[in-house]
Amino acid sequence: MLLTRVFQAVRLARRRGQLNDDVRRELAFHLQMEIDERVRAGMPPREARRTALRDFGGVDRVQEEVRDIRGATFWDDLRQDARYGVRMLLRSPGYALAAVLTLGLGIGANAAIFSIVNSVLLAPLPYGNGNELVLIRQSAPGIGRPDTGVSIAEMADYRAQLTTVQDVAEYHAMSFILIDESGPDRINTGVVSPHYFDLFRVKPLVGRAFIAADDAPDAEPVLMLSHKYWLEKFAGDDKVVGRVVQLNNRPHRIVGILPPIPQYPTDNDVYMPTSACPFRAKAASTMEFGRRTFSGLHVFARLRSGRTAGEAAAEVSALAENWVRVAPAVYRPDQTGFAAGVARLDQELTANAKPILLSLLGATGLVLLISCANVANLSLARTFRRAREIAVRSALGAGRGRLARQLVVESTLVGIAGGAVGLVVAWSSAGLLGAFASLFTPRVVDPALDGTVLWFTLAISVGTGLLFGLAPAVTVRTVLTEALKEGAPLVGYSPRSQRLRAVLVVGQVTVCFALAVGAGLLLRSLYRLSSVDLGFESRQVLTAEVFGNWSHQTSEDDLLNFYAAVLDKVRAIPGVRAAAITNAVPLGNIVPGERPIRIEGVSPPGVETAMLPLADQNLASDQYFETLGVPVILGRSIEPTDRAWSTPVAVINETMAKLWGGKDPIGSRFRIEIQEPMDFTVVGVVRDFRQYGLDRPAIAQYYTPVAQSLGLGGRLLVRTESSPLWYASAVKSAVASVDREVPVEDIDTLAALRANRLLSPRLVTALLAGFAVIALVITVMGLAAVIATSVSQRTREFGLRMALGASAGSVLRMVVTQGVRLVVIGLVAGAAGALAFGRLFERYLYETRPTDLRVIGGVAVLFLIAAMFACLIPARRATAIDPLLALKTD
Amino acid sequence: MPRPSKYDLLQGTLDLLILKTLQMGPQHGWAISHRIRQMSADVLQVNQGSLYPALHRLEEQGWVSSEWGVSDQNRQAKFYQLTRAGEKQLARETETWAQISAAVTRIVEA
Repeated sequence: MLLTRVFQAVRLARRRGQLNDDVRRELAFHLQMEIDERVRAGMPPREARRTALRDFGGVDRVQEEVRDIRGATFWDDLRQDARYGVRMLLRSPGYALAAVLTLGLGIGANAAIFSIVNSVLLAPLPYGNGNELVLIRQSAPGIGRPDTGVSIAEMADYRAQLTTVQDVAEYHAMSFILIDESGPDRINTGVVSPHYFDLFRVKPLVGRAFIAADDAPDAEPVLMLSHKYWLEKFAGDDKVVGRVVQLNNRPHRIVGILPPIPQYPTDNDVYMPTSACPFRAKAASTMEFGRRTFSGLHVFARLRSGRTAGEAAAEVSALAENWVRVAPAVYRPDQTGFAAGVARLDQELTANAKPILLSLLGATGLVLLISCANVANLSLARTFRRAREIAVRSALGAGRGRLARQLVVESTLVGIAGGAVGLVVAWSSAGLLGAFASLFTPRVVDPALDGTVLWFTLAISVGTGLLFGLAPAVTVRTVLTEALKEGAPLVGYSPRSQRLRAVLVVGQVTVCFALAVGAGLLLRSLYRLSSVDLGFESRQVLTAEVFGNWSHQTSEDDLLNFYAAVLDKVRAIPGVRAAAITNAVPLGNIVPGERPIRIEGVSPPGVETAMLPLADQNLASDQYFETLGVPVILGRSIEPTDRAWSTPVAVINETMAKLWGGKDPIGSRFRIEIQEPMDFTVVGVVRDFRQYGLDRPAIAQYYTPVAQSLGLGGRLLVRTESSPLWYASAVKSAVASVDREVPVEDIDTLAALRANRLLSPRLVTALLAGFAVIALVITVMGLAAVIATSVSQRTREFGLRMALGASAGSVLRMVVTQGVRLVVIGLVAGAAGALAFGRLFERYLYETRPTDLRVIGGVAVLFLIAAMFACLIPARRATAIDPLLALKTD
Repeated sequence: MPRPSKYDLLQGTLDLLILKTLQMGPQHGWAISHRIRQMSADVLQVNQGSLYPALHRLEEQGWVSSEWGVSDQNRQAKFYQLTRAGEKQLARETETWAQISAAVTRIVEA
């Protein structure tokens, strides 16, 4: 509303020059007509002009009146008010500085978080018409697979039959090994349809995108580099386009370089068309009719214009239902619950970040509200100190409205200055916050202070200025009556304004309490999360990826021999205590895939698969549990004697052992109920440990020997005597001594993985706690200011009390009680808000209830202690009052 | 010679007179004041000090619109014209005026 008025004023200012000119010309014409008339009546021209001018009256007055009518004076007055405001603010620099800094912090926090919200949630995806992009997703919840991927045959059906989308493109991730003079380098590769980037409407930065001809079976294999990989590996050299690089056993030509774009679902180093991926090509060539193989594809589509994601979802779902009808044996809908749907890409990209960012924006909003109340408080006190000036201006003819407006203009100036400080705050924190947001979204986060952010900042600056300016403005009337009273003190206070200030402080405490309880809950949850017993010893364990090179280790036996050789070499490194191969590094980036198991002699005979308990399989070599420091409770661990040809065995965890219902599981067998069922004999039970996340308790879990598992694995765990990273190069050379063209990657420590899991909760907590601390400091300052004013107002009263024998202690108590009472009222009022705010954070809380009384109580006590300290300084001043002097004052 | 106006015109009355004058077609300011003087047989005189503010006020309210044109003497002049809203306003004010003047007459002649 204000903005429109400002715009109107600007427009009027532009119009004003023209208007003045208009009126002048109009009046000149009128005068000329008068003269003409007199001349026609027989008056000599000079005489006619003289008399006409005399009778005409002032031109300026008419101009002014017209200007008034046309409303241009608003602008004039505003400018005058602003100039006066600046002068007044410069005259009390202490107030101006405190107000501008307080608001600057509040506005800065908001602008900073908003710049993230803007670049992550509001800005359109950096693809052409990104809001038309969707991904088609198939799920089989019945077998614990929220995302099954799409098969080549299914994708072909989608492409041929969907009418709601313009085009469909596939994607799957592969890893290749790029071999050049600097050694082997495992690269994440996106294998995509040739028109994939056309679908996204992404133009290559250098070179060309894929074309249909690249996908021909005999075409030269080509690559596009991601922007990041181009910079890292080739130092951003344009000339790399056209170069041929070796990927595994095949040369590939680099044809183009991608711009920096968000990549979903994973970041890749390079992209290649589907025909260049040997696995995809083989699957496509051997695909039989009706056989739905190689179902690892992600399918992206672009909606036809005017079609919604909902319409596409309905069509996709209907198509999937038809497949299930035609081939129930393939989809086994009863067991799998197979279904297909559509998700919007923009929502998919920001699904994790959205609630966190919005909570933070809410928190900064509260901080701003609190700082606003504080500045209102300051300026209220200042208004009363200015009572005399205001009274003088009123006596000189300024109307009450004009006086109030002057105060609002002044506060708006402070707001805008605060906004400028806020922009500096936002600008200097942009990089950090961008890195923070990248933890939650694959979108490239570039929190630039663009037009939207600037407008937002201007709006909240002016808004806060108006908001905190309202309090003094509404008291103008009180100020005037007080100032005019006989014998009014030089500094005019009124009980009413003091009450208003107390209400503001109570409001601050209320809001601040909610914020602080939210931060307290997160802190408690973080503490719980970081002190959780993982069940394994995370210190001094090195992890690395050693996936082998599929053009060297071409069979399962090759891979197993390779792993065995690597383990031998690594275990021979001095200082290595144990080493193992697995597919499952605890707290690494894998998710469980639970399957139904049928336990011999325990599961009721003939029970349906859907009714069976689920368990998750992981692969382990010998020494796996030893390396992790997980004790074997019963039976034995996995041993080197468990070979591909020996009895398939499994070691289960305690949670899974409970499925035996008290019977000894050792020696009994269970079967995994999948398409080609497998039987395992239980040989041992190990203690539970947290495999998939700090906050995720162990699920039923069994471990089978890597040697019996088709040679999968690929991750090395090494327990060392001292700091694990010191062993990194020794581990690398151990692997190189087995095969020089196998990369060793993602070298890390379990301790670092654990810390990494804590990173995002830690950052969210730190941010919120930071906001809460700022809010608390501001609130306490506000309280101290109110109490201080009240003490100086009651100087005489205190003097009298002390003259009548009140002790310093009792006066001190009185003042402190006054402050504490305000805080208690605020806390009581804020309790409900605190509970509601805590509930907002519930999903981020680990083993902490939003109603945690210890947190709420602790925060309340903290507030009371802070309040007492805030009151002590003014209270001490009250006790130092000399009764004689106080009573002598006027 | 223009004599001082005998009556201070009520603002509403001036608006009514201007609107009524413009009902006969677009006019510039001087012609409006001239017409009012003529039609009231020199009783009512509107000087420029009240005329132009009134015209601008009427334009601000959307009852008249203005446009620069050329007068009979080939001079640049600003012409005012009644808008559709202005016509409605004129009808309303005419009615109000009739009621008020009848009421005043009744009291005065009672």
